[in-house]
Amino acid sequence: MNVLKVSRWTIAAFILPCLIVYVGLVFVPILVSLYSGLLDWNGIGKSTFIGLDNYVKMFTNDSVFWPSVRRTFTLAGFSMLVQVPVALLVAILITRFVRRPNFLVSSYFLPVILSVAIIGQLWKTIYNPASMGGMINGILTSLGLESWTHSWLTEPKIAIYAIILVSLWQYLGYHILIQFTGIQNIPSEIYEAAKIDGADGFKADRYITLPMVLPILKISIVLSFIGSLQSFDLIMVMTGGGPAHATEVLASHMYNMSFITMKYGYGSAIANVLITMCLIATVLINLLFTRLEKRYN
Amino acid sequence: MTKRKMKWFGMAMTGVLAISLSACGGGGSNSTNASGGGASEPAAGGGDGASAENVTITFQNIYPDASDPKNQMLKKIVEQYESEHPNVTIELDSLNTDQQKLKLKTQAASKEVPDITVVNPAAQMQPFVDADLFAPLNDMVEENGLKDTFQSGILDYYTFDGNLYALPDGNNIGVVYYNKKLMEQGGVEVPKTFEEMIEAVKTLKSKGIQPMVIGEKDSWTGSFLFMNILLRTNGGPGFLQDVLDGKKTFEDPAYVEAIEAFQQLVDAGAFQDGATSFDYNSGENLFKTGTAAMYYMGSWATGGIETAEVSKDGNVGVFQFPTVGGKGNPDEFMLAPGSAFAISKNSKHLEETKDFLNYFMLNFPKEAFEVKGAVGIAQNVEGDFKAAGYSDMAMNVLDLFKKVKGGDLAFDNTMNPGTTQAHLSGTQSLFVEKKDAAAVAKELQAAYEDNK
Repeated sequence: MNVLKVSRWTIAAFILPCLIVYVGLVFVPILVSLYSGLLDWNGIGKSTFIGLDNYVKMFTNDSVFWPSVRRTFTLAGFSMLVQVPVALLVAILITRFVRRPNFLVSSYFLPVILSVAIIGQLWKTIYNPASMGGMINGILTSLGLESWTHSWLTEPKIAIYAIILVSLWQYLGYHILIQFTGIQNIPSEIYEAAKIDGADGFKADRYITLPMVLPILKISIVLSFIGSLQSFDLIMVMTGGGPAHATEVLASHMYNMSFITMKYGYGSAIANVLITMCLIATVLINLLFTRLEKRYN
Repeated sequence: MTKRKMKWFGMAMTGVLAISLSACGGGGSNSTNASGGGASEPAAGGGDGASAENVTITFQNIYPDASDPKNQMLKKIVEQYESEHPNVTIELDSLNTDQQKLKLKTQAASKEVPDITVVNPAAQMQPFVDADLFAPLNDMVEENGLKDTFQSGILDYYTFDGNLYALPDGNNIGVVYYNKKLMEQGGVEVPKTFEEMIEAVKTLKSKGIQPMVIGEKDSWTGSFLFMNILLRTNGGPGFLQDVLDGKKTFEDPAYVEAIEAFQQLVDAGAFQDGATSFDYNSGENLFKTGTAAMYYMGSWATGGIETAEVSKDGNVGVFQFPTVGGKGNPDEFMLAPGSAFAISKNSKHLEETKDFLNYFMLNFPKEAFEVKGAVGIAQNVEGDFKAAGYSDMAMNVLDLFKKVKGGDLAFDNTMNPGTTQAHLSGTQSLFVEKKDAAAVAKELQAAYEDNK
């Protein structure tokens, strides 16, 4: 184990700063938040300990909570089942058909670098009504499809999907980059050998690329899931959770409760649910992929 | 032995020095910069012969925009004060309104309120006052006759149990701005009643003119207008107070009627498409760029509209919000006592801070008048507005101020945050869904009881 023959104390000394920062910035706040979740507290004044009342209220008597959960999972679902597979497909196509792929991959990656505030404003303009210069509605109108036009961000039933689309668009390049790198790392000899055995094209993808890229795919899926649970900024910029909570997700609900409605204890309780969901999901996804990986080994 | 003694003595001296240094630097009441300040301040202190203690006062404010006259005015007064009091440094922490609200809440949670901060009146201040974070200003406001510069009654919104906790920078009313050219093109007159207003909206709409605009993503904008309708349907002010006193509920006919009236306005097509995705600024910009005929807002918008393109040649006028269903008195306005400066109870330099804020507020009206920002401030202004070059529209607004015979505060200044949020999202939903007015009212009543 100790190949470098360094004393344990030295190792401890080198690990310590990182450990302190990590514990201080991750674990301590989680513990504090676990405690705050049991309080009736406005964040400023006196707090009263109320046990699990916040959770009871959240699960049984909060008309915003469950719809927010549903929307959060809709976003996660789209992200894992649409965005990641599409990214994989694009990554495969790029590796196979493009000779100098770097430029293309960088272009796809570009929206990830842009600030969410900019992206939000950009898409808000794209979604605007035609009278305000909205691009989508403008195109629809010029195609004679007036009946298809919507005020995308303000109709309660479709607003959340309009936002999901933007989120998928923005992070597609991120997943393409991850998976492209993963595919690049598969040794070309394997493909050559497979070619001799008659596995070419998509057959090769099915039996070589997919199994070999599984660990990377897992990272992608975990990232996309956790990213979706935490989605907040885009919603704040584009609709602020409105109209009338129609685009509220867990994170924005938590923010509103903690800082706008000044129910800090309740907001903390929501945060704890969010953390728990992240943990459970990560464990589940890990289990699933361990099984898949076993199958292919 | 002596050598060791010397060593101890030296260490003790070093300790003393260190303490005195940090005492000097501790003026930076912000604990984060105390160590940095400790290193740099002694040089200056040594030069002075340490005659007066160096004091740094943190002044959190919501005038971050350098092109805003208020920001320039702020810097000017601060500079004046600093030159008269060389031992005092005023550290400005200029933030956007929303940022400041959030930052203050975070600071309040850890009891690290800046020396001077900004709060909103009445119910919005209550939690901070309850948490005992602010210093009473009763004695300070009497000094140099500061109290008499304020308009009568305005300080009541910042007074709790006989203690005054904050000094307001503004006092505004809700008015309707209108674009004269567009109204003329549409062939409509300034509406005298709400019913005429609906007709005007329909006429303008049919001629392809955007009747009204609103930035309803920030849901308080719609609420402010809604509350003005309620002020009329209730036949006078005090509805929310009656609810708080248990005399009325939100299911009262006055409230339901107000929802219905508001729905009529929405259904008539008064507001721009997608209104709920426009924030306050972009909504107001639509009016400022001359795309809409009418715009309901607090009179604080006067300065911005005045300097915008649309105001060329006195093109913008203002009118009072009309009666609704023949009820209410147009001379009753939505009242918006402004954000106010409060002093932290735990300030390390309480006396100096009070002295500075006293100076600041004394100079506020004069300087605001000079930068043409004196419409809608909370203090009495001496001076001839017309001669100073204020526009006709500003003069109109000032005339409306003279007509004020009472009114109501905004919803969030009267109710607790939980109820406010329910009201805001209920009102916002009126923009996008056809809802039964009674059901909306019932929902709000439930939320109110839940948050009591």
